[in-house]
Amino acid sequence: MRDAVTWYAELRGKCAPLLLVERARREPDAVAYRAKHLGLYRERTWREYAGLVARSARGLAALGLGRGERIAIMGDACEEWILCDLGAQSLGAITYGIYPTASAAEVEYQMRDGGAAIFVAENQEYVDKILAYADALPELRWIVVIDDSAMFAYDHPKLRTFAQLYELGDDAGLDELERLARAVDPASGAFIVYTSGTSGNPKGALVTHGAHLAAAANMVLHYPALAERPHRTVAYLPLCHIFGRDIAVTLPLLSRMVPHFGESLEDLPQTLFEVAPTVLFTVPRYLQKFASHVLVGIAGTSAVKRAAYELAVRIGRRHLRAVWDGHAGLGPVYAAARLAVFRPLLNKLGLDGLELLVAGGAPLPPDTMALWQIWGVNTMELYGQTETAGGIITGQRGRFPRPGSVGDAPPGWEVKLAGGEANRGEILVRSPDLFDGYWGNPEATRETKGEDGWLRTGDVGEWVSPPFQGGVAARRPGWFSRRRHHPGGFAATPPQGEGQHHPDGFAATPPQGGGDMPRRELRLVDRVRDFIVTSGGKTLSPSYIENLLRASPYVAEVMVIGHGRKYLTALVEIDFDTVSDWARARNIAYTGFTSLAQNPEVRRLIEDEIARANGALARVEQVKSFRILPKALDPEEEGEPVTPTRKVKRALMIERFRELVESMYDHREERLLAAGAGDVLRAE
Amino acid sequence: MTVPRASGYFRTRYAEDFALLDTRTRKAWAALFAAALLVYPFLAGPLALDLANQVLLGAVGAVALMLLTGYAGQISLGHAGLLAAGAFTTGILFKEFGAPFWVTLPASALVGAALGLIFGLPSLRLRGLYLAVSTLALHFIVIHLGAEYETKRGFSTGILVDPPSIGGWQLYDARAWYFVLLAAAAATVLFSLNLLRSKTGRAWRAIHGREAVAGALGISVHRAKLSAFVVSSMLTAVAGCLFAYFRGFVSVEAFSLFLTIQYVAMVIIGGMGSILGAVLGTVFVILFPYFIEWLMEAAGLAEELAAVVFAVNYSAFGLVMILFLVFEPQGLVGVWRRIQAWFLMWPFKQKPLAGTK
Repeated sequence: MRDAVTWYAELRGKCAPLLLVERARREPDAVAYRAKHLGLYRERTWREYAGLVARSARGLAALGLGRGERIAIMGDACEEWILCDLGAQSLGAITYGIYPTASAAEVEYQMRDGGAAIFVAENQEYVDKILAYADALPELRWIVVIDDSAMFAYDHPKLRTFAQLYELGDDAGLDELERLARAVDPASGAFIVYTSGTSGNPKGALVTHGAHLAAAANMVLHYPALAERPHRTVAYLPLCHIFGRDIAVTLPLLSRMVPHFGESLEDLPQTLFEVAPTVLFTVPRYLQKFASHVLVGIAGTSAVKRAAYELAVRIGRRHLRAVWDGHAGLGPVYAAARLAVFRPLLNKLGLDGLELLVAGGAPLPPDTMALWQIWGVNTMELYGQTETAGGIITGQRGRFPRPGSVGDAPPGWEVKLAGGEANRGEILVRSPDLFDGYWGNPEATRETKGEDGWLRTGDVGEWVSPPFQGGVAARRPGWFSRRRHHPGGFAATPPQGEGQHHPDGFAATPPQGGGDMPRRELRLVDRVRDFIVTSGGKTLSPSYIENLLRASPYVAEVMVIGHGRKYLTALVEIDFDTVSDWARARNIAYTGFTSLAQNPEVRRLIEDEIARANGALARVEQVKSFRILPKALDPEEEGEPVTPTRKVKRALMIERFRELVESMYDHREERLLAAGAGDVLRAE
Repeated sequence: MTVPRASGYFRTRYAEDFALLDTRTRKAWAALFAAALLVYPFLAGPLALDLANQVLLGAVGAVALMLLTGYAGQISLGHAGLLAAGAFTTGILFKEFGAPFWVTLPASALVGAALGLIFGLPSLRLRGLYLAVSTLALHFIVIHLGAEYETKRGFSTGILVDPPSIGGWQLYDARAWYFVLLAAAAATVLFSLNLLRSKTGRAWRAIHGREAVAGALGISVHRAKLSAFVVSSMLTAVAGCLFAYFRGFVSVEAFSLFLTIQYVAMVIIGGMGSILGAVLGTVFVILFPYFIEWLMEAAGLAEELAAVVFAVNYSAFGLVMILFLVFEPQGLVGVWRRIQAWFLMWPFKQKPLAGTK
């Protein structure tokens, strides 16, 4: 492995289009990516890739896109997205993606905030979202449509098609791209990523060319397998997210990973099945969803097959526990279970060839992670933020790491926990390659990026030293493991200072220690501001409890409530796919989401799921009551309490479902006290 | 176009879409099966070899009927008549003109195609039972003409046909016949599989589904029906030609209406709308009487039932057909697919995440 510091420094002086040119000269005929089109995976070599980028660059230049101007791209991950993106970058323009699920109001906000001169829409659906404001946005000059198949009868003067863009670029080649790329200042802005704010408007994090490449390189150093062998992966995460960009654009340039684009996002299961990726980066939601479909499938299969699966899972659990404790495990017995059951199981999903499955973007519930590991997938979790410019803050490594931590920092990156009163335990990161600042918001930039160079993540963490007892599945009855009673349980206490012993036996090691300390790993506790303090004064981490609940295949989303309240309650969104399967299997009649959500049988099902999770929680952490949301949360709808990445906006959620929330709390006591006090406060 | 059943197969060229065998597993199984077929005659005894030859010969006719009935949805009871037409063309050309193999075979095909065209015409107006009756006419006309020829020319016991000779080498040995028939059956199966995914084959399936819709889609219903009759009859007549050489003897007695019933049974028991079904049905129908005989012997009733062995055979055959129609309308191929799916879906019952977003 090359020296990290020199590699970072070298990349800091480049931009992505330049890396593309270099790669196209070095291995012109190697496959850079494959994009499915009309049933066939079109192979693009590095030379073709660079040629297409050159054409899109010249086309964009012909539309008048200049240095420092912004271009917004809206759509699912597709070939043209990255061609437009790199084309614009090679002109020195700044690109930003808009979430495909963003509502019209969010689109308008980001168009105004970013001030894009060109809006690229994947198809007619996104054109409709912008067209309403098209004339009200003074800076918007052109709207470019990639897939114009539904664009008849549209004749807005700003509209152009992607094909026309290409014609404008006619035969631009590698030399032209190189000339453009060399003229780009690596310290200038490359792209903006809008962070999905769970409170307030999204903030646009500006990232420069060099910083992004050097930051993303830390992933390649952290997961050297990416550069050692050729790998197949599937690019499906939204490219406007920095994680999606890393996977589809930057990591392929820095490693030997070949991304595959499916025909459409809806076909993801099919795309995964066909491509059979060897490396997959994902967000926890997909792993939960796939796993719950598998479990529902197993529950509905024949007795013989189910028995085989259950036997294999028992073997897998014992094997995994041994592996986590640093032993060899069950070796041939587990290998047989894997061959006979887990490999065919994973083959149906297209995931049996995975060497590395990395989840990031949100906390991965330990139960889910353990389940994938039982199936024999080398699953690990990483932790990063948009503000780290495409690099990771920490990541688990090796083979089958124990769930519960997010691993250690990559070479050259410093991570520590804050010691101050206000933000005790907050994770701080330092590297030369962080984001540049929030677009048009220097105040927020100062708040996040302190004078001392440490980036404030807003997340609370603690250090754990392996072998730590972090994995929930290792100790607790999860919903897939046999139910056993564990007295005592474990309270997810917020960090209370250094050296203090935690209830379940691991010590929070001091954040800055000597060089010969045992390897320490970071464990995420929660967002700084998300802690719940109950009226009894207990500080609880809602995300910990929520993850436990979300591990149920029937729960799509859950929000735990309890701030300033007597006890915890939860709002639950059922997973329509799995619950409707469940209902069909039991002849429960329903007409749609709402009727299913209100069905008493379904209520009992969720009650059982919550009771199961409660069994693994300390008394104060237990969810005492819950309500099922009568409708599915849809990020595309105006004013919905979820972000485009489906993160719950807590305050808005409580506001929207106030009646449901209040109905879970008993107000007799307050009324009694109010009656006792009478109108003494109002009497003059 | 086939759909891979295991993960990790993606296509980058249309040529891969055309491949009959795409995945490594399929290629491996196909190779294993081919090897087994090639080794078989060297391991099998005389009876087993003869049975195999009968199956291979029968498969040509069964596949031909499957194209017409199983795919294009046209009922035909003239199958034995068409076999007879092929056999008599061969017999007459050999007897009268001493025509060699390479003349009689195409001549039989031509006669079959012509008969198919003529007797396909009623299908343009008639459906179901009426069509069946009109095709039955074909059977009786051909059989009558054959019988007339036999009596008028004085071959009332039948026409003897010499084994075909290729460059002085006579095709006589059962093992040699096995390879010839294997080649014929394989060629028929491959031809049919390819035809079925062509424009013609798709048109046949469409008219089977619903003629009015097929017509609305721009398919010429008349042309599709006639082409189905012509192709099916041609293949059947070729099977008749092979039959004549294989038996070395042509006589109207061999082409009774029961032979038609047997071929229809092959198609139904095998499973409508499947080439594999036609082959499986052939195996079943040809081996079934031997199986009944074996059962009678095993039960020690062979002596007592010797006089009624045909009656037992016929009734058992009828019973099996009724059972299939009632309990397994998909035929043997349905059973095969269920068994296959049990293993392919392991450890699931259905594919998870199918059709979800």
